[in-house]
Amino acid sequence: MSGLAAAVISTAAAPPSRTADLVPQRIVSLNLCIDQLVLDLVPRERIAGLSFLAADPSMSVMHEAANGIPGLQGSAEEILALNPDLILAGEYSTKATVDLLRRLGHRVVTVPMASSFEDIRKAVRIVAEAAGDSARGTQAIADFDRSLADIQTKATLPRITAVAMQVNSLASGPGSLIDEVLEAAGYENIARTAILGRGGYLPLERLVTAPPDLIVLANSGDDFRTVLGDNLRHPSFVRLTGSQMSVHLPMAQWLCGTPRIVSAVKTLRDLSPKLAARGRLQ
Amino acid sequence: MITRPVAVLACLAIVAFALPLIVGPDGIGWPSGSDVRNVILFEIRLPRAILGALVGGALGLSGAVLQGYLRNPLAEPGIMGISGGAALGAVTAIHSGLAGTFALALPLAGLTGGIAATLILLALAGSRTGPVTLILAGVAVSSLAAALTSLALNLAPNPFAASEMLYWLMGSLTDRSLLHVWLAAPLIIAGCLILLSTGTSLDALSLGDEAARNLGVNTGTLKYKIVAGVAMAVGAATAVCGSISFVGLIVPHLLRPVVGGEPGRLLLPSLLGGAALVLLADFLLRLLAPLSDLRLGVVTALIGAPFFLWLVLKTRTELSP
Repeated sequence: MSGLAAAVISTAAAPPSRTADLVPQRIVSLNLCIDQLVLDLVPRERIAGLSFLAADPSMSVMHEAANGIPGLQGSAEEILALNPDLILAGEYSTKATVDLLRRLGHRVVTVPMASSFEDIRKAVRIVAEAAGDSARGTQAIADFDRSLADIQTKATLPRITAVAMQVNSLASGPGSLIDEVLEAAGYENIARTAILGRGGYLPLERLVTAPPDLIVLANSGDDFRTVLGDNLRHPSFVRLTGSQMSVHLPMAQWLCGTPRIVSAVKTLRDLSPKLAARGRLQ
Repeated sequence: MITRPVAVLACLAIVAFALPLIVGPDGIGWPSGSDVRNVILFEIRLPRAILGALVGGALGLSGAVLQGYLRNPLAEPGIMGISGGAALGAVTAIHSGLAGTFALALPLAGLTGGIAATLILLALAGSRTGPVTLILAGVAVSSLAAALTSLALNLAPNPFAASEMLYWLMGSLTDRSLLHVWLAAPLIIAGCLILLSTGTSLDALSLGDEAARNLGVNTGTLKYKIVAGVAMAVGAATAVCGSISFVGLIVPHLLRPVVGGEPGRLLLPSLLGGAALVLLADFLLRLLAPLSDLRLGVVTALIGAPFFLWLVLKTRTELSP
């Protein structure tokens, strides 16, 4: 009830700004990935609220920065209660909520989900522009490109094969962010060439038969404690990740398309000299 | 008592057990290299085949016993909410962390859920109610179990819980290991042995409660034997493979014309038939759509639901004056 009252007051007393030249001071994000872009691009005092997942260490690399900022479940009432002057929503944010906020005169900007590095640059640009600081966005994109180039200019290594396994025996294939991360780190993603089923299904039997040089564990069995994680707990998979080179890439590091994905590229890139040495020994 | 149908079904089950061992994602055959072949054969395909046989047998036998005991052709562990109760028990154990405390916690939780559902069902319906009341009771129990399963997963801190629930409801044998076999096999086998021992009592019961008591059947003991047996077999099966529906319904109906109407004579054939059906369904699934990750529970439901519809129509015709 109080939320509703606040909603009425907020729209009546302080009509939300529609002018883009005014720099938004109370920014709200409704999506985990946009949360992390906002935290990087906007001063903290101008962030009024983020999604509740932003403070979840298993999903957000910026969880520490998000601490103390109100976490939203995503209902229109709690958003309105914050009296925001800019609302950033994901493509898949509840359409009903977004429509309602727009009808009430709020400025809602939709940020497309990033599944490639080019998408990341676009998303950074959109968020920075909406927040009234395009220069900050340009700077962030330049930083991102420089860090990527820094990682890649190190001595080129022979192509090493890799695969990123998720729960339910899914391998991250072409068109996914992880595929681009593997590519940028100099690996050959076997999910690109292997014949996979729908959604990147790579049966355990196939993986055991022809394992790549590196297995990236994109999920941990602990994140998925029931049926979905069975493939990661299967004895033959556990043994395979023990004998092959494998690395756990925490979900928070690759889940969202933000410039912070550079850390995932770096983690994987740093492994390749070891892998190359292993290859020479065998 | 090895009759001809039993021998035929046993052969069918053995063939069905061997088929999944030679079929993989790349069609029929083993991969080259003996190390890899052993891993695939003994760690990936064999657990799948063993679990398929155990789960199918448990479901077929439970269906036959429930249909005989309740004297109702629509009785089946899935429709009656027993599988749902077992899934709830397993999901609760996993999300509360109980499943990690000791090895048998998961199947025992499935068992507890199965027992609870069976007891609620029997309290609601008893053994003398008509088909409609019994099905209503089953629907009530399975809806309650589904609602509580949703609640358990809704309250779980992991936002991916919803997709996990979906996969529970679509039972599967994919990527199960020998660990799952060791967890489930003892309870399933014990449950099946209890259920197989009820044959003579069920035959007597088909003559009516009074006649059965005169023949020396303790109907109270029988009831608890059935509750325990079904809950153990179906509970443990569901705890490791999720809900695989309609097997318990179809198998006894398919076999009744072959072995005759006496419930006792249907038990062993239903066990073997259930095992053969699940193994063959899993085999066809992998042969026809090896890379689709199509779930076994989805396929059995696709076969089973129209069969159930046909059965309802047939029952309606028989019951109408």
